[in-house]
Amino acid sequence: MGPIRIEPQKALDEALKLQQKLSAGAQTLRSLDPVTFGVTAKEAVYKDDKVTLYRFRGERAPTQKTPLLICYALVNTPYMVDLQDDRSLVKNLLAQGQDVYLIDWGYPDGSDKYLTLDDYINGYLRRCVDFLRKSHGVEAINLLGICQGGAFSLCFSAIYPEKVKNLVTMVTPVDFHTPDNMLSHWVRELDVDLFVDTLGNIPADLMNYCYLTLKPLRLNQQKYVGLVDILDNKTELENFLRMEKWIFDSPDQAGEAFRQFIKDFYQGNKLLKGGLQIGEKKVDLKNISSPVLNIFAEQDHLVPPAASRALKDAVGSPDYSQIAFKGGHIGIYVSSRAQREVPPAIHDWLAKRS
Amino acid sequence: MSSNSAQDWMNQWQALAQRYWDGWKSQGVVPPAGFGRADANAPWQAALDQWAQLFGKSQQQSDLVDRVTANAKSYVALMQSMLNSSLGQGGDAGAAAWTEALRNGFNIPGMDPALWNNPLGANFRDMAGQGAKGFEQLMAEFGRAGGPFKQEILSTLGMPAFGLAREHQERWQALGAALVDYQEQTNRYNALILKSSQQGFERFQSKLAEREEPGRQLESVRAVYDLWIDAAEEAYAEIALSDEFRKVYGAMVNAQMRVRSLIQGEIEQQTRQLGMPTRSELQGVQKSVQELRRTFRNNQDNGGSELAGEIAALRAEVAALKRQLAAADTQPAKAAPEKPAADKSAAAAPAKKTKR
Repeated sequence: MGPIRIEPQKALDEALKLQQKLSAGAQTLRSLDPVTFGVTAKEAVYKDDKVTLYRFRGERAPTQKTPLLICYALVNTPYMVDLQDDRSLVKNLLAQGQDVYLIDWGYPDGSDKYLTLDDYINGYLRRCVDFLRKSHGVEAINLLGICQGGAFSLCFSAIYPEKVKNLVTMVTPVDFHTPDNMLSHWVRELDVDLFVDTLGNIPADLMNYCYLTLKPLRLNQQKYVGLVDILDNKTELENFLRMEKWIFDSPDQAGEAFRQFIKDFYQGNKLLKGGLQIGEKKVDLKNISSPVLNIFAEQDHLVPPAASRALKDAVGSPDYSQIAFKGGHIGIYVSSRAQREVPPAIHDWLAKRS
Repeated sequence: MSSNSAQDWMNQWQALAQRYWDGWKSQGVVPPAGFGRADANAPWQAALDQWAQLFGKSQQQSDLVDRVTANAKSYVALMQSMLNSSLGQGGDAGAAAWTEALRNGFNIPGMDPALWNNPLGANFRDMAGQGAKGFEQLMAEFGRAGGPFKQEILSTLGMPAFGLAREHQERWQALGAALVDYQEQTNRYNALILKSSQQGFERFQSKLAEREEPGRQLESVRAVYDLWIDAAEEAYAEIALSDEFRKVYGAMVNAQMRVRSLIQGEIEQQTRQLGMPTRSELQGVQKSVQELRRTFRNNQDNGGSELAGEIAALRAEVAALKRQLAAADTQPAKAAPEKPAADKSAAAAPAKKTKR
C-alpha cells in the first residue's frame, strides 16, 4: 500500500478551501486598522539617555510594597510582555498586586555605538534600580530578567547582591555551550572584532534574519501557509499581525555591547565558567544571595532549556526554584497557558518571600 | 488504478479545477491563457500573484502579503505536483515516487534555476523582506556602493605592483583576493544549504516509507507538506549543528566582513583626499562623546551625593547669614528713635552674630 492516499474530491476541497480563504483574506486584510502593542497604561518615571523606566498602572493599586522591575533583552522591544489585552504578562502581574516597572532600552543609533555592557549593567540598569530603591524607600527590589535581560540581571545580582531582594529569570541562558544551542554554535568561529569594527552597530534586520534561519522552514514558510487558515478571521489576523510587527520591529545592537556579549557569553561562556568582568566589576554567580526563581521553556529554540537549567548549580543562593514551562521562547509570554500559569507562579513565589 | 477509476479521477479533477478558477475569477483574478480548459498542468500558483496585486504596495500588510504569496505559491505548486502525480499513479505509488513529485513541486517555473531542487535555498532568499535581511542581501546592498570598484579591482589581480601607484595597486589586489575568497566561502555555504535540501528529501522519503503501513497513510496535501517540513527541518538542524557548518558559516561571514572592511578603507582614502569627514573620524567623535557621557555619569554617581550635600550645607549657611544680615539691618533701624537708651545692646548683638 502506498504511503499517500489522497482522494480527488478531498484534494480539490483543499484547493478550493485555500482559494476561498485567500479570497476572504483580500477583504479582511484591507479592513484592518494598523496594529499596535503595549496596551497597559504606563508612565515614564525616569529617563537616562535613550533608556526609559516605565511604571505600569493596573486597575487597582499594588498590594506588594517591593517594586518588580522587568529587565528585557536588548535584541527586541520589551512589549512582548504587554502585547495585547488578553496576552500580557504585565497586566496579569498587576492584577496579582505587583507594582510593575519596565526598562525600555530604546533604539541605539550611531552615537551609541560605543555603549558597553558596563554602561548597560553598571550604568543604566543600576541607576534604574537605585531610582526605585530611593522612590520606594526600600533597600532592595525584585528583579525579573528576560532572555538576555536575564543574563544582565544575573550579572547585576552578582555584583550588587544587596540591591536585589528576589531574582526571577525567564528563558535566560546561563550555559552558552550546550550542544543544542545553534546560535552559539554559529558564532563560535566568528571574528567578532572584525564584525563589529566593520558593521558598527549590528543591524536589527540582520539579527532578525539570523533568528529566522534557526528554523527557516517553520518560521518563514509553514507559518505563512498556516496563516491562510485564519485569513477570514479578523481577530486572529490582527493577533498575527501584532506578533509580526513585534518580531520585525527590533532595535539595532550597540556595537561594543554586542562585541562583549558575543565574546564573553557566547564564545567564552564566562557567565558559567567564571572570569566574566563587567567594567571593573567581577561577576561570580556564587555571589547571588537572594532567592532565585528560574523559569524556562521546554520547547525553546533560542535558549535551550539546558542552557537555563545550568543556573541551579551555578547560583550561590540556597533558595533556588525552577519552573519548566510547556511552550516556546515566545509562547511563555503570549500563549493562553502562559497567561494562566506564569504570572500567578511568579506572584506566589514572590509573595512567600516578601 | 484501473483505467475507469483513472478516467473518473481525471473527470473529477477537471471539474474541480474549473471550480477553483471560477472562484478566482469572481475575485477579479484573471486566469492565464489556457486556464479556460481547466488544464491540470496549468500553473495554479499564478493566481497568487494577481491576488497579491489586489493590495497595492502602500498598506501595512504589503510585506505580509508578499510573505503569504511567496509561501502559498510554493504550497500550491506542491499541491498541484502531488495531485498530478496522484492522477498518474493513484494510490499505488511508493515513497520514492511521491518524493520525486514533491521535489518537482518546488521547482516553480520562472524561478532562479540555481535554486532548483533546493527549497531551503529558495526559502532563504524569500526570507529577506521588511525587518529581515541576511548576509546575501547585506552584501548586495553594500555591493551597490562598492560596485564601481569591483571590475577594476578584479582586473588588477595577478598584475605585478610597481611604480608610483604600487601601494594603491597592492591594496586593490588585497581587496580583489578578499572578493574571490568571499565568493568561495559563499559557495561552500550554499553547497551546505543544497545538501540540507537534499537530505531533507531523503528524510522525507524515509518518513513516508513508514506511512506505507496500513492505517498510517497521509490523506491530505497539508499532511504531506507538514511531514516534509518536519523532515527538512530535521535535516537542516543536523547540518547547522555540525562542525563543518560552524566553520563554513564563520568563514563566510568573516570573508564578507573582510571585503567590507577593505572597501571601507578605499572609500576612506578617497573621502580624505576630497577633504570630507571620514568614517574613522566620525567614530573618533562618537567614542569621545561616549567617554564624556560615561565620565559625567560616573562623576554624578561617585561624587554627586557628596557634592550635593556640601552644596545644600553651604546654601543653608548662606541663608542663615542672609537672615542674620536682614535682622542686623532691621534691628538698628527700629532702635534708632531710642538710640540714646538702647544703643549699646541693640548694636552689639547683630555685630556679634555677623562676626560669627
